[in-house]
Amino acid sequence: EDLAVVGSWSSLPLNKQFETPFWTEELPAASNGEINVQMTTHDQMGIGGGDVFRILNDGVFDVGMTVADYAVGDAPELEGLDVPLVANTAEEAQAMVEAARPMVEDIFKERFNSKVLAIAPYPPQVVFCKGDVTSLEDLKGKKVRGSGRMTTKFLEALGANGVNVAFSEVPGALERGVIDCAVTGAGSGYSAGWWEVSDHLMTIPLGGWDPVVTAMNFDKWNSLSPEMQKLITDEVNSKFEAPAWAAAAGALEADIACLTGNGTCPAGDPASMTLVEASDADLAKAKEILTTVVLPEWAERAGADWVKRWNDTVGKTVGVAVPLS
Amino acid sequence: MIFTVTASLLGLLALSIPVGIVLFLLGFGVDQLFSPFPLLRGLGQVVWSSSNSSTLIAIPFFVLLGEILVRGGIAERTYEALDKWFSWLPGGLIHANIGTATMFSATSGSSVATAATVATVAMPQAEKLGYDPKLFSGAIAAGGTLGIMIPPSINLIVYGFLTETSIPRLFLAGLIPGLLMAVAFMMVTAILCKIKPTLGGTSRSFTWSERIGSLQHLLPIVVLFLVVIGSIYAGWATPTESAAVGVAIAMLIAAFNRGVSREMIERCLYGTVRITAMIMLVIIGAYFLNFTLTAAGMGRELKDLLTGLNFSPMGTLMVVILLYIVLGFFIETLSLMVATIPIIVPIMTGMGFDKVWFGILLIVLIEMALITPPVGLNLYVVQGARKSGRLSDVMLGVIPFVLVMLAMIALLVAVPSVALFLPDIL
Amino acid sequence: MIALLVGLVLTGCVILIIADILLREVGISFGGADEISGYVMAGVASWGMSYALTELAHVRIDLIRLRLRQRGKAMLDLLAIIALAGTSIVIAVQSWPVLQKTIERGSRANTPLETPLWIPQSIWLSGWIWFAVCSSVLVILTLSLLVKRNLEQADALVGARSELELEA
Ligand code: NA
Ligand code: NA
Repeated sequence: EDLAVVGSWSSLPLNKQFETPFWTEELPAASNGEINVQMTTHDQMGIGGGDVFRILNDGVFDVGMTVADYAVGDAPELEGLDVPLVANTAEEAQAMVEAARPMVEDIFKERFNSKVLAIAPYPPQVVFCKGDVTSLEDLKGKKVRGSGRMTTKFLEALGANGVNVAFSEVPGALERGVIDCAVTGAGSGYSAGWWEVSDHLMTIPLGGWDPVVTAMNFDKWNSLSPEMQKLITDEVNSKFEAPAWAAAAGALEADIACLTGNGTCPAGDPASMTLVEASDADLAKAKEILTTVVLPEWAERAGADWVKRWNDTVGKTVGVAVPLS
Repeated sequence: MIFTVTASLLGLLALSIPVGIVLFLLGFGVDQLFSPFPLLRGLGQVVWSSSNSSTLIAIPFFVLLGEILVRGGIAERTYEALDKWFSWLPGGLIHANIGTATMFSATSGSSVATAATVATVAMPQAEKLGYDPKLFSGAIAAGGTLGIMIPPSINLIVYGFLTETSIPRLFLAGLIPGLLMAVAFMMVTAILCKIKPTLGGTSRSFTWSERIGSLQHLLPIVVLFLVVIGSIYAGWATPTESAAVGVAIAMLIAAFNRGVSREMIERCLYGTVRITAMIMLVIIGAYFLNFTLTAAGMGRELKDLLTGLNFSPMGTLMVVILLYIVLGFFIETLSLMVATIPIIVPIMTGMGFDKVWFGILLIVLIEMALITPPVGLNLYVVQGARKSGRLSDVMLGVIPFVLVMLAMIALLVAVPSVALFLPDIL
Repeated sequence: MIALLVGLVLTGCVILIIADILLREVGISFGGADEISGYVMAGVASWGMSYALTELAHVRIDLIRLRLRQRGKAMLDLLAIIALAGTSIVIAVQSWPVLQKTIERGSRANTPLETPLWIPQSIWLSGWIWFAVCSSVLVILTLSLLVKRNLEQADALVGARSELELEA
């Protein structure tokens, strides 16, 4: 069985440590050579992250993976997979994703003619700030480089300005004061040297967890034998999804140690950013903004049916309910 | 697959099918021959997402900027002023060619636009003053390539975009190598003309008062450079936005010089749309070809080729340089970058080379590709401006400058801080 | 006429970006200039194609062509325009599903502006369709000129010109 697989960002650890080894080595080995994989990534192919599932839909390749947030242009209901600030640890995030999974499966079947194989996390998207920041409230009036539509909407509701800056331009923009804060994964921020130009690290997951969905074209999926389907499902669960989640929990701790200097940093010399942890007041404030502004707006985009379903599954798990008019 | 594609590329180009169309045809061929998947179905999405790009809009902006400078009379005055300063050197006006190209490089992001701008104002002088057509036109073709090394630069924007590298850092890194190359171009010209004085035209000299008086004509370009580059480093504008700022300032300067009329604006816009569409057809074609090649496994083939050699990092670097020189003969430069960067750059950074430094090295190789036949856009631009004589004159004329570029590559490899010094201290 | 309109849209985009920069400096963030300039680029590219075609601006490598006699040149020109027309038709046909999916799903841009994507994509797609139509008409015109052995007019219609001949 030949499989053409398109991975997420080639430069990020999820691709290097989990996607590529799993699809090019572990799965072919587990199938005793029955599965033969040809792998590339969407950035190497020169296609946008938002196009991956559109093209997967057409059967141009068999398996595609990209951040769910990139695809919300085609499926606004998918925004519900990654609501910022409702899951603050890897366990909570995993519980949220698991609760959302049946919904995501239906969305992918309906919108992209695709079978969801896995949902794995990028590291939580935390906040790097230049200048004194002690609470969520302090972001008011600041220029923040966000990620994802719901995060930007949240920032606007908070009274901050969402600014669009490319990842590679963030250090310069922070240094020159074009932006005050920027959101990204703690590990990416460490390796890209954002700590050189910022001093406060808010570990509150303002940008959510950026879950990456792995999906297979449904026509391809249906053409596989039941044994093959079972093999792929089992292998993906045990050798890709589970280790990726396990690593996410440990990685955040290590990355924070690297950025703040509290604890051991396996990646190199630690920086000395000031750690700003979320207080109960912050979380209460976040929940208030989500339920009064951000989620009701989303409900308009996604439609009542999906939101009701979200309330019954994800909402129950994280303790948030979207008011339905 | 790499061999088949290269051979077909040459064949189709030789048939004088438009370059952009050739890239699409090759993409169709790769889809048919090398891929079991219906890649053609991805075509529409690739065309949409490659052209729906707020980064690439810098291209029409820089082209428009060049059009305004030529049609607003700014380019001509700059050339005359530099002529007064440089014509005493052995080689006379040829130095003005290089100097003007250098100054325009500092406001234009495109090498083709720079070469076209300088050729338009310089060529009429060559015959009048009896210059050797080879060296004279070669200097314009080569000098024009500085347009993508001295900031701003479309190619560096594309490199930064594809590799997630900071564009302001890349711009800083290109400045010293760009100026060094400009100086080296002039030195080579002076030496050649000293050895063989018939290469240069009638020697002329101007009085100091004439020279000082001409300085005011250099002012517009200096102002443009400061505004375009300054707005990036002051944090007012992104590199792409700075191109829009440049257009507005150029328009103001042209208006100040009374060079603006309705007809002038219309001709600028027509020219911009024509050149932009020509470039975009090639870029979109290159994106599609890259899409099919990557899907068909060229990345792995190229990677296996490079890693299979089992060379040391330095050995691999040499192979990569050689690869770009050879590919540069045949492939249009932006397509060359888009197709190879996502594969080559991760391999090189994995071996410990600096991403900014490699970007600058790559730009020198790309500059060379612009003036090496058979596919060297600047050669055609300059030949077009001459309206007579043989294309082979221009091709021979660029040889000394290609040698300078090779020396620059050696220097960058030996002393990486030539590129990295500025971005590291600023 | 179309080219002038395209150029004016581009000028509008310059003004939009500068307005955005100025507003940002005084603290008003209106955002979206970035997103809109992407759509402008897509439209400028697709609608500019047919103008560049009628101006013979799409680069061709004419090393061999230059050495041929008139008849040989005409044959290469015919080949080139047929290849171009064929390709542009494929592009137009394959681009339709992009807009079709957008309309089916009511897709909006993944940005705060939430631009309904059918708007920029319709403008973009129609530019490619126009390019396909223009190039197909040129194939027919060239064929009819060649049948009449009117090689000079055929050269004027679909021959190769260098960059600077265009400038003049
Ligand atoms: Na430049
Ligand atoms: Na070349």
